[in-house]
Amino acid sequence: MALEDHQSDMESCCRCSACKFIPLEKITGYEHANVCPSISRHNFHSYSGGGRMGFGLGLVRGRVNYTPRTAEVVYDCNLCGACDVSCKYAMEFDVLEPLYAIREECVRNGQTVPVWDGLVKNMTKGGPTLLNPTGTRGQWAKDLEVKDYTRDKSQVIYHAGCLASYDEQSGQVAKAAVSLLSKAGLEVGIAKDKELCCGGRAYEMGYRDEAVAQAELNVARFKESGATELVTGCAHCYQYFKVLYPKLGLEHGLKVSHITEYLADLVAEGKLKPTKPVDMTLTYHDPCHLGRLSEPWIDWKGVQRERHMRVYDPPRVLRRGTYGVYEPPRDLLKAIPGVKLVEMDRVKEYAWCCGAGGGVRESNREFAAWTAGERMAEAESTGAEALVTACPHCVQTLAGNGSPLKVYDVVEILDKAI
Amino acid sequence: MALQKEHYKAFEAIVGAKNISEDPVDLDAWAWRSGQAAMAQDFKPRFEAILLPASTEEVQAIVRLCNKFGVQFKASSTGWGVYCDAGGPGCIKLDLRRMNRIIEIDEDNMYAVVEPYVIHAQLQAELMKRGLTCNVNGAGGNTSALPLAAHEGIGHMSGTCSIGERNQLAAEWVTPEGEIVRTGSLGALGEWFCGDGPGPSVRGIIRGNVMPLGGLGVYTRAAVKIYHWPGPPTMEVKGYSPDYVMQNPGNFLLRYLSWPDEEGRAAGIQELGESEIAFGTMGFNPNMVAASVATNNEQELVLAEEYSKEIVGPGICVVIAGNSPRDFAYKKAVLEQVIKETRATSLKAVEEGDVQTSFIWRFIRVTASIRETMRGTGVFGGEVFGTDSYLVQSNFIQHSRTDKKDLIDRGLVYPDNTDPFITSLEQGQFAHSEVLLRFTPAPDVAAAAMEYVGKANANAVNGHYGLPHHLFNDFQHDFFGPHTSNYTHWLREIKKSFDPNGVSEASNHITAKD
Repeated sequence: MALEDHQSDMESCCRCSACKFIPLEKITGYEHANVCPSISRHNFHSYSGGGRMGFGLGLVRGRVNYTPRTAEVVYDCNLCGACDVSCKYAMEFDVLEPLYAIREECVRNGQTVPVWDGLVKNMTKGGPTLLNPTGTRGQWAKDLEVKDYTRDKSQVIYHAGCLASYDEQSGQVAKAAVSLLSKAGLEVGIAKDKELCCGGRAYEMGYRDEAVAQAELNVARFKESGATELVTGCAHCYQYFKVLYPKLGLEHGLKVSHITEYLADLVAEGKLKPTKPVDMTLTYHDPCHLGRLSEPWIDWKGVQRERHMRVYDPPRVLRRGTYGVYEPPRDLLKAIPGVKLVEMDRVKEYAWCCGAGGGVRESNREFAAWTAGERMAEAESTGAEALVTACPHCVQTLAGNGSPLKVYDVVEILDKAI
Repeated sequence: MALQKEHYKAFEAIVGAKNISEDPVDLDAWAWRSGQAAMAQDFKPRFEAILLPASTEEVQAIVRLCNKFGVQFKASSTGWGVYCDAGGPGCIKLDLRRMNRIIEIDEDNMYAVVEPYVIHAQLQAELMKRGLTCNVNGAGGNTSALPLAAHEGIGHMSGTCSIGERNQLAAEWVTPEGEIVRTGSLGALGEWFCGDGPGPSVRGIIRGNVMPLGGLGVYTRAAVKIYHWPGPPTMEVKGYSPDYVMQNPGNFLLRYLSWPDEEGRAAGIQELGESEIAFGTMGFNPNMVAASVATNNEQELVLAEEYSKEIVGPGICVVIAGNSPRDFAYKKAVLEQVIKETRATSLKAVEEGDVQTSFIWRFIRVTASIRETMRGTGVFGGEVFGTDSYLVQSNFIQHSRTDKKDLIDRGLVYPDNTDPFITSLEQGQFAHSEVLLRFTPAPDVAAAAMEYVGKANANAVNGHYGLPHHLFNDFQHDFFGPHTSNYTHWLREIKKSFDPNGVSEASNHITAKD
């Protein structure tokens, strides 16, 4: 949808500031009441969900011209969706969708971030949407005996994602994931060095056309494979395949699962048995793309049927973060002997972002690091020995921010136990 | 009218380059209307610049420069309200977001000292850990806990946790000329426990009847009274937004009671007040109850219709909170006696398990006001009436109800059962009333809303009901002044005396015009 199609939603912002805080019912103290990294860091109202609505309307009405600061404000947002959840506790309109549309509008008007231009260009040439990638795609699987689904039929596809493909540590997690699936007797197929970027990060950066083109390549390949299920180790890829593709009108016909969902089912069914104790006190960080952003896409078109209430024909059901993937990663951790799980203040649908989202890690590393630092401090306050999460982007962004806590992927912890 | 370059540089030198902006992206974000009292004009005049001061000293320095340069300023905390907007060109915004600390919680003397950007939900949560709580503005837990922010500080727990004008203790005020005034005990002893002495008591000046709404300098810190909390340190809330379910810690109960007429409601509130059993009482109409319970507008419509069949007339929400099982049993028994004696009807739908317990927490944290007022279309308006004896308020809203019905009949506002709300304060003798309108701010509707406010004002004057709290500008003050001892003369004198240069932007207060 174009930005002007979101006008009615943007006009419904009442400037209550709920988008800046975790849902009010969940506030348990002075600390950790903020939910939006962007306004928490920059403080101007324009950096909040509500403030961006005002700017978006300014764009639609032709009130504002682009300035150098426009890009800073528009792009220093993790698109984590926390504002959207907090707003929709009470209100009845989309916040996050207009934010995507604002970015698209900016890109259409040439207001781009040079580093993102490079990433997207790289993607269109078959490369990853990563800064300074090392290694080669598919290297993570070089020692694995696993099918290449682009040649051999496979019911289940494992999609590693760009980060696992090019980053050694993330690649190890992908390798462990596939090994665990194999131990459970599952035969999965991967694309090895032919895997393509899912294109989702390009969409978040505002490059809709390029993202659609990339998605079409993936859909064609998936259809050709004859597979019925798609498992991802990356929360971003998971959200894009599950939510973004249908939103863009692309149907791949696959059941999409995140690796933690898949493994949790295998453990519940007794096909994987975590028996080795892992004596650690852990706290779990909900990746935005696995959590609040992962609700299935709901396609809706309709008209307001009552003048003074936002009710519609047909009824409009909003995505509110209610049905994200919150429990499977926790179920896995709870199934591991010796693991003690302690929760942070901001969890599940109102979790604080790691800082990587929305392309921020590539465009503003300082802001991403600050966001991650806030999260690690919150993790430290739980008394945990380590933080565990379920997305390579989160792992990479959260680790190495001066915190004494180690950062793991859930798969690594499960692998230790099996 | 942009700021002169040298003025901008001077302000920048105070707050730092990262904390000032005159870029359109920042200005338009603040120019979009607040949903409150929204009219057909949706974008308000832009501020010339947005400034983010971090301390009282920075606020003072900015205000002094405003006097020197002849630039107007307006400060706000969370910024929800029409009075946070610029009235016209030539005004800068002081967004107090960086002044967000709880300075002190004095458990023994039962007060907390806060800066403007601490929200009620944060303060209440910290206090609950200590067996204490605070009044939460009816606007919601998302609003400033500063007892001088925005309005009267009236909320669901004002029956036991009082209201802003009483809860405000010592305060720190940057006057429109840039002097820092420390009121009450803070001025004499450097302590926060009292707003009126030893030391200067300027409560009447800095509050007035309706607060200056940004038009008389900047309030940078204040002490607020805190109260006993009968519940646990935290409320256990399960589920995912927006379907939160509070686990009842025990000793809490909520009822929605209705009576066939206003007399019945008045009798019920009087008995509840005399018995002092209610932790909170709040007048809701059926649609407000439905809005609070429902997580979306579709559901709200269904529930409102369902509830309306059972609700027999004017109603209130009552929350009982026991300090012990025995205390709870006593209060519950008294409530049942009040229901019987005043022939109240209790809405069964909100007595049920999770619906009741979750409603209790929304009520205490005040999280559903946004649903009740803004979810309909994103805007609301109406008559924020005064604070007076219960019966005076009750009589006023009966008049206003008729006028609202006229707008409903003409299709100009949402038909939410026409019932205005009234909430009793300090155990029932005292009350505050409001008549809410939910509408789409199209030009015809906006004109009708203004017509309605005019009628309500006329009712207030003709019925001798006193002053509303929605006196947001010269026009309204000047309308009421001649009928109420010409208070406007004194209010204007205060404005002139403290703001001789007219820099504290007062389009929502009173200006110093002759």
